[in-house]
Amino acid sequence: MITALGRTTMESVQYLGQLGLLTWETVKAMFVAPIRWRLVLQQIIEVGSRSQVVVAVTGVFTGAVFAAQIYFQFQRFGMGTAVGSVTALALFRELGPTLTALMVSGRVGAAIAAEIGTMKVTEQVDALRSMGVHPIDYLVVPRSVALIVSMPLLVAEACAFGIIASYVIAVQMLGVAEAPYLRYLNNYTHPSDVAIALIKGFVFAVIIACVACHEGMETANGAAGVRRAPTRAVVISSLSILGMNLVLTFALNIVFPSSR
Amino acid sequence: MIEVRQLSKSFGGRPVLREVNLTMEEGKTLVVLGRSGCGKSVVLKHLIGLLKPDAGCVLVDGEDITGLPERKLTAVRRKIGMLFQSAALFDSMSVERNLAFPLRELGMTDEREIDARVAEALDMVGLGGEQMKMPADLSGGMRKRVGLARTIVGRPRCVLYDEPTTGLDPITTDSINHMIRRLQRKLRVTSIVVTHDMKTAFHCADRVALLHEGRVHFDGTVEELRASKDPVMTDFIEGRSGETD
Repeated sequence: MITALGRTTMESVQYLGQLGLLTWETVKAMFVAPIRWRLVLQQIIEVGSRSQVVVAVTGVFTGAVFAAQIYFQFQRFGMGTAVGSVTALALFRELGPTLTALMVSGRVGAAIAAEIGTMKVTEQVDALRSMGVHPIDYLVVPRSVALIVSMPLLVAEACAFGIIASYVIAVQMLGVAEAPYLRYLNNYTHPSDVAIALIKGFVFAVIIACVACHEGMETANGAAGVRRAPTRAVVISSLSILGMNLVLTFALNIVFPSSR
Repeated sequence: MIEVRQLSKSFGGRPVLREVNLTMEEGKTLVVLGRSGCGKSVVLKHLIGLLKPDAGCVLVDGEDITGLPERKLTAVRRKIGMLFQSAALFDSMSVERNLAFPLRELGMTDEREIDARVAEALDMVGLGGEQMKMPADLSGGMRKRVGLARTIVGRPRCVLYDEPTTGLDPITTDSINHMIRRLQRKLRVTSIVVTHDMKTAFHCADRVALLHEGRVHFDGTVEELRASKDPVMTDFIEGRSGETD
């Protein structure tokens, strides 16, 4: 058992090292090689624009369900009007970034791993290298930049749709008074909450890009490898997002304390 | 032009190449023969730095490329074109964009010149007018030809062919063999052909090397190959496995 634990630890450290190396190579490539803006734009359309529906729907249902649950619990203490502010805080600080990242990891991370993985096993990555094109410049940088640009915007979109849904559920359906709902929402939601959402979106984008590109670039063993790459990319990036969210929650609470 | 010295490579502890020595002469065709899995493609991938050797070195125009980092290999790789075993066409791009890709990477921006070079390369492989097709719409032989056109469109000084006729019918194989010879004469490129097809070897080679158990077992002319009485050589040429029914 100790041997197995040791082996798992070693493999995890090795994996983290590989991710760190890929991140370093990607950051370095952004400065030493020209960024292929046309590819970045294509990827922003693929990663950002085409993820909007899934992210908006996630935001709507999360905001709606959360607003309903908060109302059911809070109205017992006569605090039903706090639904808006509590939902907004939860969406900006936790639910918006985390759920958006999990959805994007499933939709985009899997696609990136499968696409690069297929290129790897069909020698297309080697063909790029044989033409003097660095795969990091051509494949990893455009996808990473696109994710880093798109994710904070997608998080903002999910939060916005969540808050609108919460308003519809609380005010239109459950009969919460509109004026106090909006006053609490305005008084207790601060720019720092939005900043937390955007920072988390940025960090989660880095995680999805690194894990998905790494899984793609390390794909081997033909079709079986291509089948495994997206699964691994989604599982590893999802778990990393959840773990990193805990770390960020504590770290960002120091930077943006909630007791204001 | 290219020299391989004492090249050794192992995968997962299993030695594939053991102190391989080869010299590729400028403007000539070297055919590297050997059984499947004997390391022929591994040799080829070392020649443009796609693999790093465990020991030994590869010299291109006298420069040792084995220690060069990926970004510094660009200049070397632009002298050499490689036709991959699977053709390795970019499946998201049309034939035209596949061929234009290396030209744009070389810095060409004049679209009319790019179109002309693409059309010329496709004509050379007998596929003129097929620019708009996608790789998925091509047969195996056509994919190999498009791959070859993409390899030569940048006018490299040396072309590496990884199993150019594997999996093709005899007529297409013969056509590809003629094409390799024609391109070598027309463009005066140095060619290195990795194959286990004896017909390709006899048709294309100026010199032949046979890899056996990770080493160069034979290195000589086609005539010397034909005259050889070495059992390893004769078994390979005549396709004898030594097994009985």
